[in-house]
Amino acid sequence: MGKILMKGNEAIGEAGIRAGCLNYFAYPITPQSEVAEYLSHRMPEVGGVFLQGESEVAVGYMIFGAAACGERVFTTSSSPGISLMSEAISYIAGAQCPAVFVNIMRGGPGLGGILPSQADYFQATKGGGHGDYRLLVMAPASVQEAVEMVMMAFPLAEKYRNPVMILGDGLIGQMMEPVEFPENLKSEPSKKDDWATNGMDTRKSKKRNLVKSLFLDPVKLNENNLILKEKYERMKREEVRFEPYNTDSDYRILIVSYGTMSRVCRTAIDNLKAEGIDVGMIRPQTLFPFPEDAVFQAASKKSCGMALSIEMSMGQMVEDVERCVHGKCPVKWYGKCGGEVPTPEEIMDVVRSNLS
Amino acid sequence: MDILLEGIVIIVGNYGSGKTEISINLAVNRKLAGIDVSVADIDLVNPYFRAREARRQLAELGIGIILPPDKYLQADLPILTPAVAGLIRKPSRLTILDVGGDKVGATVLSALADALDGKSYRMLQVINPFRPFTDTVKGCMKMKNEIEKASRMSISGIIGNANLIDETTVDVIYEGYAFVSKVSGETGLPLEFITVSSRLSDKIDMKRFSCPVLELHRQLVPPWKKAAAL
Repeated sequence: MGKILMKGNEAIGEAGIRAGCLNYFAYPITPQSEVAEYLSHRMPEVGGVFLQGESEVAVGYMIFGAAACGERVFTTSSSPGISLMSEAISYIAGAQCPAVFVNIMRGGPGLGGILPSQADYFQATKGGGHGDYRLLVMAPASVQEAVEMVMMAFPLAEKYRNPVMILGDGLIGQMMEPVEFPENLKSEPSKKDDWATNGMDTRKSKKRNLVKSLFLDPVKLNENNLILKEKYERMKREEVRFEPYNTDSDYRILIVSYGTMSRVCRTAIDNLKAEGIDVGMIRPQTLFPFPEDAVFQAASKKSCGMALSIEMSMGQMVEDVERCVHGKCPVKWYGKCGGEVPTPEEIMDVVRSNLS
Repeated sequence: MDILLEGIVIIVGNYGSGKTEISINLAVNRKLAGIDVSVADIDLVNPYFRAREARRQLAELGIGIILPPDKYLQADLPILTPAVAGLIRKPSRLTILDVGGDKVGATVLSALADALDGKSYRMLQVINPFRPFTDTVKGCMKMKNEIEKASRMSISGIIGNANLIDETTVDVIYEGYAFVSKVSGETGLPLEFITVSSRLSDKIDMKRFSCPVLELHRQLVPPWKKAAAL
């Protein structure tokens, strides 16, 4: 089958099915409700389960339950809904279960608004819930990339026995683009007999499995945290993904930007190039692990006099950019987070004003 | 072959079938043909990618446009301004109602039943066979039945809108035309017109089509692209 035209939210739902996930629990919230709408049609067609929880808190624990039983499971929500799920996400990470969460971000804090935002960067990459856990966070910049990241997320969640988050924004969810579902990203669920509570009669081993995040013995709790830490260090070694753009040029400014915002920057970079101004860009595809070395190397280029973190948040990612640039050049921030997406012209003005 | 639509035209279809893009472009096409045109955006479902985006260009051409009040433009509240019923009672020579997607979006029409009572209208279903759920005749029929049930009105014709946005090829247009012709044949609903992107119109052999063609100048674009001039 050739390409079809899909809304980001629909494509994310279909990608879950194509990845072999037949369990989807969710609660509607703008701007991601179409995922639930779509899967309410599609899950019954493929023999899967769509279940609407009574709240996002409930959904978070439904995900935990299914994941603990060794089932592939995912949910989608938008910012306030992810806040409500954050307790369960911490439990899932602590209990080392694989699950996929999609956050189609809207403006915050609080109820905020319903238009696109990237203001959940801290929540996704540095916490949200309590305790020393991390999520593997991928940020798509197109509907096709959202499909691919969702399909990759399930085996990655199983590889690390850790929740994976796809961090999109309202525009990724709502825009329409042609997509296809790559056969090579289909994957078989991993064997889970050694840890999941998948039923004694389904496996040879008679060892009882217990899934829990409670460790009252301080030595055991420390051990659990060391296991988690080792996984996050391994993610940093093995899972970093990024896309460089125009970095072969002698750029004087380096942009770091992700998701929808990076597509606006790309247009701005193309337009500036036509004016004879070279700007390079590193687009993190994983936000955790962050492409630390790529940003450092790009900022270390002789021609580069400044790095700009451009984001639809009030300077959350700029902290990571500063950390990675490591003093090689000054770092500045530009962004908006009310729901308006900065235009290519605005970005071009920001670049020009920093060159003069 | 020109599009000759007049009167009250209600544009329905599934989510993302292209209703708003068609409403805007149809309004401009008919306005340029010299008739008086108004458009009402009555999509109460989705606040993203709406007719309001083309408001300035339509106003400059003298096309009347009815939208929810400014202060509610970004709310996901189902606001149906009374101006819509007013427009239906005193329609322009062509009055286009741009309805929300699926049966959910079409439900609003039953709230306009009083205003529409005794008026003649045409309700047209937009079909893009490259969208999920309307890639088969059966899927299109299901969508039609659900919209008719929700709106308590009957669909009287179809609009072919085969496209993959920027990746639309000549073959997509021809294939889409064959598909909507088949839907038209099996349902008995007339094919009112099909659409072709202005980017492709000089590459298309228009003689292949036995219905009018609406040239689309894309308006609903993401922030990194520019809308086409109308």
